[in-house]
Amino acid sequence: MLLITCPFCGPRNESEFVYGGPVKPPRPDPATRDDAEWTEWLTHVPNPVGPVEEQWWHARGCGTWLTIWRDTRSHDIVGAPHDGG
Amino acid sequence: MSHDVTITPLETQALFDLRGPATVLRDWAGDSLPAFPQRPNTGSSNGRATLMFLGPDHWILRADLAREDAFEAALRPVAAPPEISIVRISDTLAFFRIIGPEAGEILSIACPLDLHPRCFGHDAASFTAAFGIKALVIRCEGGFELAVDRSYLPMMTECLTAAAG
Repeated sequence: MLLITCPFCGPRNESEFVYGGPVKPPRPDPATRDDAEWTEWLTHVPNPVGPVEEQWWHARGCGTWLTIWRDTRSHDIVGAPHDGG
Repeated sequence: MSHDVTITPLETQALFDLRGPATVLRDWAGDSLPAFPQRPNTGSSNGRATLMFLGPDHWILRADLAREDAFEAALRPVAAPPEISIVRISDTLAFFRIIGPEAGEILSIACPLDLHPRCFGHDAASFTAAFGIKALVIRCEGGFELAVDRSYLPMMTECLTAAAG
């Protein structure tokens, strides 16, 4: 069970949240990409071994959308890699 | 094991959902609202109503049902400026009052909130999950009040009764 820190409510239990999927790279302009690159962006779901940035929705709380970094090896919430986490 | 609590369904409350910047809402509503709470998940009262700060730019105004028409007239939801939203939601939530020495035990069965007074103080109010569904929990004298979507009223009655033993 995760303890997720909501920017409005503070630390709350995972059961109050809904998983919103990993954060994807910015949407590319399909007119400037070939089919393979466009298909890759549409269908590829980041699933690294290690830290992954995810979106969560505080659906049973204040309604805020937030992002966290979670380590897929330990299920721990970690700091963003550029923060030294 | 039975718990020393009293669980009482409350009558319908006058409720208004307020969204938008506090400054605009304050200007629009004038002195008809209690002071806007500054800390998230707290409420403030002025004797006539309670205003709860439940999300970013999101408040719920609560009062006795007898005051509903007066607040509707004061808040003028239909004429509100586009930056804010005021919606009467009195019919949407069903309230329970759970009081007694072991009220906290029932709430700790129902929801994952940290109910210690240091985290959930005398003026606390927050949305959370109760028995798996979205619920509004408010601390009150001697215990807590719990509000859920009205369609969950029979389910919540059963769950609270079972939890109380």
